[in-house]
Amino acid sequence: MIVCVAVVGHQNNPLYIQSFTDADDALKLHHIVHCSLDVIEERVNNPKKSGTTLNEAFLGLLYPTVNYKVYGYLTNTKVKFILVTTDLDVRDTDVRSFFRKFHAAYVDAVSNPFHVPGKKITSRTFAQTVSNIVGSYGLN
Amino acid sequence: MAPVGPRSGDAIFSSIDRVNAELFTLTYGAIVRQLLTDLEEVEEVNKQLDQMGYNIGIRLIDEFLAKSGVSRCVDFKETAEMIAKVGFKMFLGVTASVTSWDADGTCCSIILEDNPLVDFVELPDTCQGLYYCNVLSGVIRGALEMVSMKTEVTWTRDVLRGDDAYELQVKLLKQVAEEYPYKDDE
Amino acid sequence: MGREVAESCVDTMLMEMVAMYSGRFYANKPELAARRIEAIGYQVGHQLSERYTMERPRFSDHLEAIKFICKDFWSEVFKKQIDNLKTNHRGTFVLQDNKFRWLSRVSIDPSSENETEDPSTPGESKAAQAVSMYLYFPCGIIRGVLSNLGIPCAVSADISSLPTCSFVIRVKA
Repeated sequence: MIVCVAVVGHQNNPLYIQSFTDADDALKLHHIVHCSLDVIEERVNNPKKSGTTLNEAFLGLLYPTVNYKVYGYLTNTKVKFILVTTDLDVRDTDVRSFFRKFHAAYVDAVSNPFHVPGKKITSRTFAQTVSNIVGSYGLN
Repeated sequence: MAPVGPRSGDAIFSSIDRVNAELFTLTYGAIVRQLLTDLEEVEEVNKQLDQMGYNIGIRLIDEFLAKSGVSRCVDFKETAEMIAKVGFKMFLGVTASVTSWDADGTCCSIILEDNPLVDFVELPDTCQGLYYCNVLSGVIRGALEMVSMKTEVTWTRDVLRGDDAYELQVKLLKQVAEEYPYKDDE
Repeated sequence: MGREVAESCVDTMLMEMVAMYSGRFYANKPELAARRIEAIGYQVGHQLSERYTMERPRFSDHLEAIKFICKDFWSEVFKKQIDNLKTNHRGTFVLQDNKFRWLSRVSIDPSSENETEDPSTPGESKAAQAVSMYLYFPCGIIRGVLSNLGIPCAVSADISSLPTCSFVIRVKA
């Protein structure tokens, strides 16, 4: 189950963060997202260490914690997408497809003429789309 | 030879030069946003968008007449249908419908269910009163004026403001007698 | 393929946008009109770069990003590629389009704005002024794209040999 997703700007400024658990662990999840930014930084600066293709947006598994797995994605415009899941058995294709849809939703949201680059994404349409993507994750 | 009837909007649209709607949509959005920054008053932005549309309309009418093969419509009713069925299709790739005629046939509504101008657009709360698509009403007004019909065009429904469709009321104020223009060079 | 509109919609809209800013709002302050037109282009470039880089790996250097503009980006917007790319390898790039679509299709006739024949401002230079005003828009687009890709720069256009148009990009160190 996806418990948290986030979009983070090129200066590590949070643009959107949403958790999907009933439990009161938002703070913990935000912390996990925050820590994952360093891992992304390191991955990108030392591309050889990662198993992914050079400069591919999808960064794969960033790090596993006891309870969560954290995945990352970095666009050409240096925007980071983070996915935190509790699933132990994660299919690579599911995660990739999730990020593709998440990325597309983001691009539509920042295409709104009234969106100010670098500012938090407040669009209701975006929030709804993301929650639909999270809901349909791994179902196909 | 049998007279060639007006071509369908679909046929014209598929034969003319087209571009990605994204470029069009985003450019219009950027213009609206810049106007809001520069003019501050939403009313003034509405006015400028309408003026911009009017100027576009008086340019596009020639292309419309040339490409559609429509001979100048005399009747306001027929003209409104042409705008909806052929005009919207050949320029924006969408169809519109005409409804709500009044008894003397001088006022109707043009309804647009799909509108490429607003793809991606969500109005912020600070833009109450903005008629985001006001360029369209200006285009219709400008184009009709070039075929001697003076009209008043107003928005009666707007999806961005929570309605279920885009609806423009077009009211014929005055039909000027056709002054014969110079024959177009072929 | 996504949604499309008639090219004349874009052409007329750009013409009117330029006429509005340089003719009506800032007739006596061309540098202000230029800045606004450039800003509109910048926003469009910023947003389009987000869209058109969606499916591609991250660029590893400036040249790759510039090549993206020359090929993929130009094709999306103008249905052709840039004809010639030159660089001094020190941060200056010249992108040459031998038949820049917006100049070949757009006729900016000052006559519709101002019918009077004023001998003190020959039509030639007035038209040239209008064209250069118009070019702030694509310059803004290019700057918006590059800035969003993490490359701050200044962009200018050179139309000394029409219909060829060259865009000069100077990357800020």
